[in-house]
Amino acid sequence: MAKRRAAVKIIDKNYSIGDVVKVQVIIIHPMETGFAKDKHSGKTKPRFYLKEIEVLYNDKPVTWFELDVSASQNPKIKFAMKITEAGLLKVRFINSEGEITEKSVKVLPK
Amino acid sequence: MQRRNFIKGSLLLAAAGLFNPELYHHRLFAFEEAIEMSYAEAEKEFTQGTKSLDGSKLITLDIPKRPGSAATVPVEIHVDSPMQKDDYIRSIAILTTKNKVNKAVIAEFTPANGMAYLYANIKLGQKQDVVVFAKTDKGVIYKTSQKVYVALSGCD
Repeated sequence: MAKRRAAVKIIDKNYSIGDVVKVQVIIIHPMETGFAKDKHSGKTKPRFYLKEIEVLYNDKPVTWFELDVSASQNPKIKFAMKITEAGLLKVRFINSEGEITEKSVKVLPK
Repeated sequence: MQRRNFIKGSLLLAAAGLFNPELYHHRLFAFEEAIEMSYAEAEKEFTQGTKSLDGSKLITLDIPKRPGSAATVPVEIHVDSPMQKDDYIRSIAILTTKNKVNKAVIAEFTPANGMAYLYANIKLGQKQDVVVFAKTDKGVIYKTSQKVYVALSGCD
């Protein structure tokens, strides 16, 4: 499989320990419902979608998301997180075929 | 080996090959999974039969009433909660009411989140209510909804 493009970003710029920041997560991924037909071949496109997003902050699970086909394609999700220490924020995307994409961002409080 | 036996054997082998589940695994799954999910089913899956309370004061929704495109409708949710160890929002669910599959996003939170906030993009097939559930750590479920008007279907 081709490598999937994904990104993790802490939206707030100047944050310190104890602050609550917003984090944005985005992945370029189709969301095939399984009902749609291909325009050229007329065949039903098989169901293929992003199933799960896991967020780990210094290897501790913070939050996770369960998506279904009613989410838009190239899903974009924002959530809040409390900064407790410097470290690594790791996000794991799992799709309906079990393919895993990982992205991480450094947490550097001032 | 007799010719008859050979033909029998090869036929059997061919049949076994055809019904090999591994060969069909990928495609069968793809077609089997395309099952419609009604709103009642989606609601039951999240609430597990618990009655929900009115959460229109607790939950703040920010959804455009007439979004430009039905394929990406931004849904912004803010739930009023201290997010402490013994009082926090455990999960938030975004459900639709008239799509073919009415489950969009279910988010699970921990006190490490610090704020019960969620932004997600969903798609809508027609004008309908978007329903948002919020479940606390004690199992109390709050519900609120908003009608969203779309001109064209976002599902193809």
